[in-house]
Amino acid sequence: MKFEKSGYHGIILSDYGIGLDSSSPNIELNLISHAHADHVPRDRRVSVITTESTRRFMELRGFRGEIKTLGFLEPLETEQARITLYPAGHILGSAMIYVETDEGNLLYTGDFRTPPSPASEGFQLPQNVDYFITEATFGLPIYKWDSHEVIFEQIRNFASRTLDAGETPIFFGYNQGKAQEIMHALSPLNHPIQIHGAGYPLCQVYSDHGIDLGPYDKYNKDTVADAILVAPSSVQESAMIRNIRNKRIAYCSGWASHESRRQQMIVDELIPLSDHVDFFELLALIKTLQPRHTWVTHSPNPKVILHYLRELGYSASSLDMALKEED
Amino acid sequence: MANSSFFEFCKTAQTIAESRGNNAKIKRCAHYFATLENHDALKLAAQFLGEGAFSSVSGQRASVGYRTVALCASEFCKMDYDLVFRACRQATGSASETIEKLFSNIPEAQKQINPTLPDLKQISLWFEELASLRKKDQKNALIQKIWSQLHPIETKYFIRIMGQGSLRIGFESKSIVSALAKAFNQDLNQVRYVHMITGSLGKTARMCASSTLDHAQFRLFHPLAFMLASPIESRAVDDLSQYKAEEKFDGMRCQVHISGTKAQLFSRDLNDISDSFPELLTFFQGLNLPDSVLDGEICVYKDKTIRPFQELQKRMGVKKPDSKILLKYPVTFIAYDILHWNGESLFEKELMERRKTLEDICQKHKIAFTRQFDVANHEELEQAFDDALSRGNEGLMLKHKNSSYEYGQRKKSWLKVKKPGGSLDTVIMYAHAGSGKRGGTYSDFTLGIRVAEDDRYEEEFIPIGKSYGGYTNQELKKINQEIKIYAVERFGPTLSLKPGIVVEVEFDDIQINRRTKAGYTLRLPRFRAIRWDLSPKDCDSLSVVEKMMEKKLQKNLDISLGKGFIQPGYNTSDPDTHE
Repeated sequence: MKFEKSGYHGIILSDYGIGLDSSSPNIELNLISHAHADHVPRDRRVSVITTESTRRFMELRGFRGEIKTLGFLEPLETEQARITLYPAGHILGSAMIYVETDEGNLLYTGDFRTPPSPASEGFQLPQNVDYFITEATFGLPIYKWDSHEVIFEQIRNFASRTLDAGETPIFFGYNQGKAQEIMHALSPLNHPIQIHGAGYPLCQVYSDHGIDLGPYDKYNKDTVADAILVAPSSVQESAMIRNIRNKRIAYCSGWASHESRRQQMIVDELIPLSDHVDFFELLALIKTLQPRHTWVTHSPNPKVILHYLRELGYSASSLDMALKEED
Repeated sequence: MANSSFFEFCKTAQTIAESRGNNAKIKRCAHYFATLENHDALKLAAQFLGEGAFSSVSGQRASVGYRTVALCASEFCKMDYDLVFRACRQATGSASETIEKLFSNIPEAQKQINPTLPDLKQISLWFEELASLRKKDQKNALIQKIWSQLHPIETKYFIRIMGQGSLRIGFESKSIVSALAKAFNQDLNQVRYVHMITGSLGKTARMCASSTLDHAQFRLFHPLAFMLASPIESRAVDDLSQYKAEEKFDGMRCQVHISGTKAQLFSRDLNDISDSFPELLTFFQGLNLPDSVLDGEICVYKDKTIRPFQELQKRMGVKKPDSKILLKYPVTFIAYDILHWNGESLFEKELMERRKTLEDICQKHKIAFTRQFDVANHEELEQAFDDALSRGNEGLMLKHKNSSYEYGQRKKSWLKVKKPGGSLDTVIMYAHAGSGKRGGTYSDFTLGIRVAEDDRYEEEFIPIGKSYGGYTNQELKKINQEIKIYAVERFGPTLSLKPGIVVEVEFDDIQINRRTKAGYTLRLPRFRAIRWDLSPKDCDSLSVVEKMMEKKLQKNLDISLGKGFIQPGYNTSDPDTHE
């Protein structure tokens, strides 16, 4: 199956006129896996197709191009292909894109997590995958996540301990997806939560989807000391954080599994809450799928996962698309 | 006894790492020390936390290198070292952390691990056994046997302790001393004192627990740990009135112990260097001083000038110098501190008091000593720098007037102010992933100098040096974001960048190095500023470096040396200086 890379991220199946997270305006059908900025075209001339939740996120974050929506598991037929979106478990609205053709069936994961984030639509796989294009952001055997139950418990414990000590718990997490996942974990505490202004409008999409984010409100400097604050780590040096006198900070990210982050971030607790699959989950998934060929992208060192796949007898190669460290 | 288990030690170390604020860490550690019922276990715990597998003063080592550890761990996981282990290590920036994670995650490793919860004593015995083994494969076999009996977190700390390095839990010996005082209700100053004179955390811990701190005695001819200076940039001192300044000589640190006609010289690593400097030994023996300890600098001193460090190197390490060398490179000792006088220890006294004693003695006995002076403001500081440099000295020392003499680096007490040799606008060519606390970020940068208009080169930029610091955390974060835009190619931990980010770099010196493309390397290059306002076209060219070098060579010829100290007419091997 022929495809080419499109820009920094994204893939184009030019024989079929299909783009996957592509920014090219010359493609008829541009499918967007999820609403994180590195997967969304910056160019408003591009018209895209995506899930309903992703459409709302994109519009809230200022995308002005045309967006058509497609439901999960609702096939879109073209002359030469059938396109279906499968829930990816990464953030709300995130989809894997499944393209069935005469040449074989391709699954493009975008970013994904299995077991899925409890603040997403879940995770589901198509039946037959011949070609598998997968992210491998955490594709090294040093990465192995605890279950969401364990991590969510850690989040609640941190908040409770901090509140009991009369201090303000602060969680650092990316405004879109991670923040709401943290809030969802905190919701059983039923304690007021405040979220950074840029993350606040996105919460409505979660609430409309029936995901409990607890008693939340927009950040307010006069009342934040009594609440739990959820904000992106970029505010660390800002007045928002400085003005809270007694506080403890937790950093929630897959990267929090690195000890060095403790000093780099200057935080009290590292909570390795990831919205990407770990190395072992990814290997297990490929064993289930048994694809004819696998391409990995977004890996810190693609040689490692390729080595393991080949040892297991799978055909695999690297797309080596990016050098990113998002979220 | 569960408390003296190594596992308990590791859990404590981990909680200390995870506690924020020094007081919280000290409290946690003190609690742990207090629960150790056995004094041997306590001694080991303190030593493992702050020194390593063996006491610092013992000079003993487990002698297991980083590569041996990494290869053993790969073997333990049945894993490809080059392909997998190195990639993982690069991601975390720490071999021991990588090994902890791999041992927790990899089924092949887990199968071999059967934790036996060894106590601290057993761990210490293993270190001794490792030290005694000579053959590499024997060491390998023992290491793997030990690891099979440890939890992954124990393995992590085992490796860190074995390396005689920091446990990387943000808890250094000063805090360990505080925790000992707290745990056993002892006077902190007394515990510090005992640590200073014993040079051993283990011994100090034992004396704390048995309330025998009084028994610790300073003994002449046993070297004391040296007080060290922290490097600063000249602009970093706020209140200059709290400091005394003195010129910094390009020499070798030395501690002199004297008792009547007996004398002994110690180097910074606490070795006896008396034999290398017989003229100094003879001098001090001849003074017939009461029990005393002086701290100062050895320099080659000839024709009333201090000679460059390179000449002193001809004397260093020469056990029995012959008369030719003694004549060609005569040395002098320039005192700047006194730690012991006439049976009384002075290191707890404030600097100004010690200096008064020192200056009296030096003048009376014609011992050379540094000239101390006040600097009122930054202009005077700059002027004093220039004066020191024009005399061929290294720079200035700033010493806090109220500081006591303490072991190791005391941040604000002694400051070493060196002027940069120069600065250049360069471009980042390569970014390298850091290790340790900078693991997982690009923290080292190869800097390029412009040769676009230079006929000798085809490139636009060639490397001139590699910089590891000088930037703030904020700046580092920003660079890490920006380099993604300029990234061209990746070679393992190294990222190749197209010219885009301009860095004003300052350095100590330019050195000729024919093995490099530029022919020059910068000594200690560090960021002064990231010049987002400049483009690669604005960078300095190689010809600027060449001009700087020419100027430097010229200057070396002009220099008149060594007037920064008071010389009351002593020099054993240069009769001319006697008045």
